Amino acid sequence: MREHRLLAFLLLTWTAFAQADHSWILDQSTLTYHMSHPLHEVDGVSHAAKGKGVCHAGQCDFLLAVPVKSFDSGDSNRDLHMLQATRGAEFPIVTVRFRLPEAVLAAPTLDCDLEVQFAGNTAHYSHVLFHQVIQGTEHHITGTVPSTVSDFKIDPPSFFTVPIKNEIPVRVDMIWHLS
Amino acid sequence: MNVSSSWCFVAVISAPYIRDMEPDYHQTKRTVSVLRQVIPFFVGTMEFTILLAISPVLAAQSRELTAGEPTVKVASAALPDAPIPTDAVLAAEDLSSTAMDFSSNDLDQQTSQGGTPAAGTQEPQQNPAPPSLEDLGMTPEQTKPDPDAQARLDRHTRMLKIHQRLGLITLAPLAAACISSAAAPPDPRKGKENTVGREIHVGLGSLSVAMYGLTASYAIRAPRVGNAPARGGIKVHKYLIYIHAPGMILTPILGAMAFSQASNGEKVHGIASAHAAVAWTTVASYSAAIVAVSWPIHLKF
Repeated sequence: MREHRLLAFLLLTWTAFAQADHSWILDQSTLTYHMSHPLHEVDGVSHAAKGKGVCHAGQCDFLLAVPVKSFDSGDSNRDLHMLQATRGAEFPIVTVRFRLPEAVLAAPTLDCDLEVQFAGNTAHYSHVLFHQVIQGTEHHITGTVPSTVSDFKIDPPSFFTVPIKNEIPVRVDMIWHLS
Repeated sequence: MNVSSSWCFVAVISAPYIRDMEPDYHQTKRTVSVLRQVIPFFVGTMEFTILLAISPVLAAQSRELTAGEPTVKVASAALPDAPIPTDAVLAAEDLSSTAMDFSSNDLDQQTSQGGTPAAGTQEPQQNPAPPSLEDLGMTPEQTKPDPDAQARLDRHTRMLKIHQRLGLITLAPLAAACISSAAAPPDPRKGKENTVGREIHVGLGSLSVAMYGLTASYAIRAPRVGNAPARGGIKVHKYLIYIHAPGMILTPILGAMAFSQASNGEKVHGIASAHAAVAWTTVASYSAAIVAVSWPIHLKF
């Protein structure tokens, strides 16, 4: 009997440890970059992002990844040019990493320090604010990453010899759930 | 459990045989005695079975089990006097691919230390790795660099940039050929010949056709990248080729025929009379192709 109770205690301890670590999964996403030119305003959209967060000891590490070629601006010629300019065949994935304290994951505003790898370069964005709306088990997160072409050492594409604007903000609209 | 539960087990198994051998009084007394020992045993077994059955459900909150993470597998061989595992126990065992066996010696040692399972077995959970691209389900094919494809893209873009520049430059002789067309036909007031005007028009037309051919060659020779169908303005740009390309071939032929008829004092007739119409259609579709590839245009300065 004593051994039974000990086994029960160990099992309960084990399940308690199992509950301590949990993960977040990205359900849906819409990432939209905006490019400006005196003759053009272009939005490129991707729904192909994948994401995951792993929480442990009160900290959660998140990773978001999206193929460069999945962005669609509505013009295949422009998308190919974007792929070339960003060296999308050589560096096919854009990754975004950030860490958040587990305690703030339910807050209406998330203050994130992002590490973005794109076009073979890494840029850091501090204090990027995302708004969060929690509906049941879904966490709907929106925000904008203030990225620029020069952050990633990309030669700005030009049209009629006029280059695009340096700013290429990326709007983020995601739905996460706790796994 | 080893001694007492084994004794209980023997008592239960042997009870029917004892009943047959002894009088009812002794049988009843013995049965009560056996039941007193057996009931706690079964209660304990049920507790263990239920906990084992629900533990995978609780653990499912962290489903990201990796090979290195500890999972619990209760091996029957380590508990020689244990009852036969129930279906729930077997199901729980099947969930784990890696086993961490608890032997009775290990349990005794942990009990004497008043500790939890060995610290080493908890290490992977204490310091889990941040998620990786593999965790997201991305295959190496998706993530590996492709320098050849990048080189094709670079060449594709470089050639299309030249195509774009030459196409814009070609607009100049094309426009000039259109303007000079007014001076190309024979002028009855200056005699049948109009050599200067004709030569200028023919020269500009020829230059336009040559530039057009050179422009087209860069688009045709640019390496193909991907098999995705064309979308957006480039689609219209490509459709318009079917108008301005034949027009670029027909226009000089019809022009030569028209001038020949006019030079012979004939009224321009037949297919040659379509020279001007074909030329203007060609120029219009060519200009439209340039606008289409740039569409939509939002002026914002």
